[in-house]
Amino acid sequence: MSPARRRRLGPNLNWQIILPVISGTLLAAGVGMAICFGVALAGGEGGTAAFGIPAAAAIPLGAAGLAGAGRLRSMPLRPRDGFFAVTAAWVIAAAVGAVPFLVEGTYDRVGDAFFESMSGFTTTGATLLAEVEREPDAILLWRSVAQWIGGVGIVVLVVAIAPATGLATQRVFHAETSGVTAERLTPRIADTAKIIAGIYTALSLAAFGAFWVAGMTPWDAVNHGLTTIATGGFSTRTASLAAFDSLAIELVAIVFMIAGAINFAFYWLALRRRDHLWPQAAEVRAFLLIILGASTVVSGILILDADGPSAAEAVRQATFTVASIASSTAYITADFDQWPEAARLGLFALMFVGGCAGSTAGGLKVIRVVLLGKAAAQEVQRQLRPKAVQVLRVRGRTFSEEVRRGIFAFFTLYLFVFATGTFVMGALGLDVITAASSSAAMLNVVGLGLGDIGATENFAVVPEAGRWFAILLMLMGRLEIFTVLVLLTPAFWRPDVA
Amino acid sequence: MRVIVIGIGEVGRHIASRLSAERHQVKVVDADATRVEAAQGELDAMVVAGNGASPKFLRELGAGDADLLCAVTQSDEANVIAALAAHQLGTKMTVARVRDPEYFGDDEAFARDQLGIDFVVNPERATADDLAESILVPGAVHVEHFAEGRLAIAEVILTDRSPLVGRSIGERRPVRPSFVFGLIRDGRAIAAEPGHRAKAGDHVLVSAAREDAEAVVAQLAGHAQRVRDVMIFGGGRVGLPLARRLEAEGGFRVTIMERDADRARQAAEQLPGTVVLHEEGVGKDALLTHGVDRVGAFVACAGDDRTNLLAALHARQLGAGISLAVVSREEFTPLVDALGIDAAFSPRLVTAEAILRAVRGPKVHAMYLLTGGAEVVEVQADPGCRADGRTVEDANMRAHTHVTAIVRGDRVVMPTPKERIKAEDRLVVFNVRQGVAELPKTFDAAA
Repeated sequence: MSPARRRRLGPNLNWQIILPVISGTLLAAGVGMAICFGVALAGGEGGTAAFGIPAAAAIPLGAAGLAGAGRLRSMPLRPRDGFFAVTAAWVIAAAVGAVPFLVEGTYDRVGDAFFESMSGFTTTGATLLAEVEREPDAILLWRSVAQWIGGVGIVVLVVAIAPATGLATQRVFHAETSGVTAERLTPRIADTAKIIAGIYTALSLAAFGAFWVAGMTPWDAVNHGLTTIATGGFSTRTASLAAFDSLAIELVAIVFMIAGAINFAFYWLALRRRDHLWPQAAEVRAFLLIILGASTVVSGILILDADGPSAAEAVRQATFTVASIASSTAYITADFDQWPEAARLGLFALMFVGGCAGSTAGGLKVIRVVLLGKAAAQEVQRQLRPKAVQVLRVRGRTFSEEVRRGIFAFFTLYLFVFATGTFVMGALGLDVITAASSSAAMLNVVGLGLGDIGATENFAVVPEAGRWFAILLMLMGRLEIFTVLVLLTPAFWRPDVA
Repeated sequence: MRVIVIGIGEVGRHIASRLSAERHQVKVVDADATRVEAAQGELDAMVVAGNGASPKFLRELGAGDADLLCAVTQSDEANVIAALAAHQLGTKMTVARVRDPEYFGDDEAFARDQLGIDFVVNPERATADDLAESILVPGAVHVEHFAEGRLAIAEVILTDRSPLVGRSIGERRPVRPSFVFGLIRDGRAIAAEPGHRAKAGDHVLVSAAREDAEAVVAQLAGHAQRVRDVMIFGGGRVGLPLARRLEAEGGFRVTIMERDADRARQAAEQLPGTVVLHEEGVGKDALLTHGVDRVGAFVACAGDDRTNLLAALHARQLGAGISLAVVSREEFTPLVDALGIDAAFSPRLVTAEAILRAVRGPKVHAMYLLTGGAEVVEVQADPGCRADGRTVEDANMRAHTHVTAIVRGDRVVMPTPKERIKAEDRLVVFNVRQGVAELPKTFDAAA
């Protein structure tokens, strides 16, 4: 009776969903490279081939993939397709993005080019370059563009730009933005993506304008505008923002790093004055309080330090560094590795807190930290009153028991991945502080650590195997662990598991 | 009056029997044939099987010339549909029981003005309000407000600490103007005569201006402490709004005990300032574990009367300050006094209050039903009515009633036998047995 089933190997994926996502990714990366190609042509410093060839390949391929996706046989939707599509999109973006570095000769080894590219797209901002100024303009712009694309989220961009693929996109969307608060600003997910991308673009333009007004050259303003809102941290200068030594520029950077680390849905909800704005508003308030508190404490530590800078200088350096680390940007104005231990440890802890959910920042995310704290306090209460029913609540908004479980699981996995990363880096020969901080810097997509990868250093000290491992950590950190970990389970690859 | 009652439950049965006893023409409808059959023997009313929400059926039933339709089935939606249909068919007044506050919780004006449902009754919500009043006024087990809140009628339990116990009502020296007009003794309400000697365990009915009520009640009860800790047994339709009200009033530490895990979770989500316990036991041990001996008030309002009575009894014995129970079924009310529970609250009576108020027409502003058919009603003396210009004593005799307070303009006057009633006075009267039929004759101009 029943038709003979073809035995399939592999996870039996739904290409109807996956193909448009990776095609869109190719297209987005291709358009980005085409822009850099234009800069290379105009500048005459070279790099035309490095961008022309991959752009010429990626754009038609992406367009063809998008066109062809409509003809695919429709298949049932399953969660795995979303996880696969998103992870594939980020890996492909990073792989395509590595090509210019290899062709131009920035790097000789594939792993190094891939590292730089992944560091860009995940907005980590870690670099292997000892001297940034030596590179052609087109390469520097490409690093900034990659961070900008990765900042808002590749899938968000794809869904916002590519023709709507309907139902399918939602699964993919969720796999990329595995936020605690489900955000749906509009009935159609494509419209939500357009809104988020629009807000992101507007903020980027504002950052560009502000940097220009504050005294940057238009060229520097473009690059820093792209990487500040993305909370990426790539700069056109080896010394990062310290090279400009301008209070005005630092203030602009502080404002837009914080703006980039705030939930994009918050801006929309704040503009629309919706009633259910409050959980997001509470997270933003908590984030700002964290920055304010940490700046005050670090300033105090620096002022009390006998070898430290003057009081005004201490406040300036501390505030900038706290905003830079908490937003996972990692611009530098001061060598915080020279600061007292308490300040260094404070910055290390800030890396893990990160910014708000649904922003470009990394880390655990403020809302998760808030909920973790509340849930842990409730566990203490539960010892006294085992029968009391505990409800996780932020500003009147309640969170389900699934969220409570999910948050504890997320935290556990996060620490586990961090510990594993520290162990691997240590085993590869890094000292304990460098190993731990490199693992944290990758997982929290900050891009800057302590010790040998500190403020004035770069990642060249990490051995090659460590660089490949760092690529995995960055990807996991940007996609908030679950999405990537699911792909590493055997069940994912068994076709019979629905 | 032609009345249609839809739904033969506790409430429907009560309203139908009460209205038919007041000589109205009552038709009762229920979809369940066995319930219809059972009711046919009990009620002096036409009992019909059918779907009360069906416009066709309602038309056949004569909803077009009915004066009142009460939709009190188990289903909120059916009640609303029935009331809407009846309103469209021409029924003069419609009452619907709607328990889910999602529908018209804060917006009864919408139901009345836009949908044409004259009264939306939420028995559990109203019961919760009554419970809250008795917790807010220490010493009173029940407080009802009349004349837009100017006058309070309180029911106070006398204990050995009350100065009145062992004396006659006439010997009472009140701290503020107030009038003890009734007693509830052994589950029966009687009019208080000056010669009556008060006993511990009596419930005293007293009227006073709202601002004086607390002091009057405190004096009668002897020693009334403000309640701070409240334990609510049952986080359902009564417990939830009660806890919310107490949270809003402020100054209370509220604990809810709920046996059902899902309901406990719901309660905890809705009540940020309340401790919600998921506790399956109802025994003494469970109550003691959660500190029932230290609470000022214990309220048993789980779904089932028997459980409520049992829990309230335990709480009483374990040392809770006052112990209140929600008791829906009439046959259990005698147990309340016998078990020493301070007061019982009945969603059935609350619904009946609202509906009977509607039946009595616009002149009856408020009413409070007591056990055994006694009631306190607010009426207005029309110009030229029989009571106009006569003394309270005279009016009492004519109407077989007891005037407990006169609200004249903004002023509350405590009635003496020789006080003369003026037109436009609002009188709060106490009827031991249904003296209702005589009320319009005495106070309405037309009669």
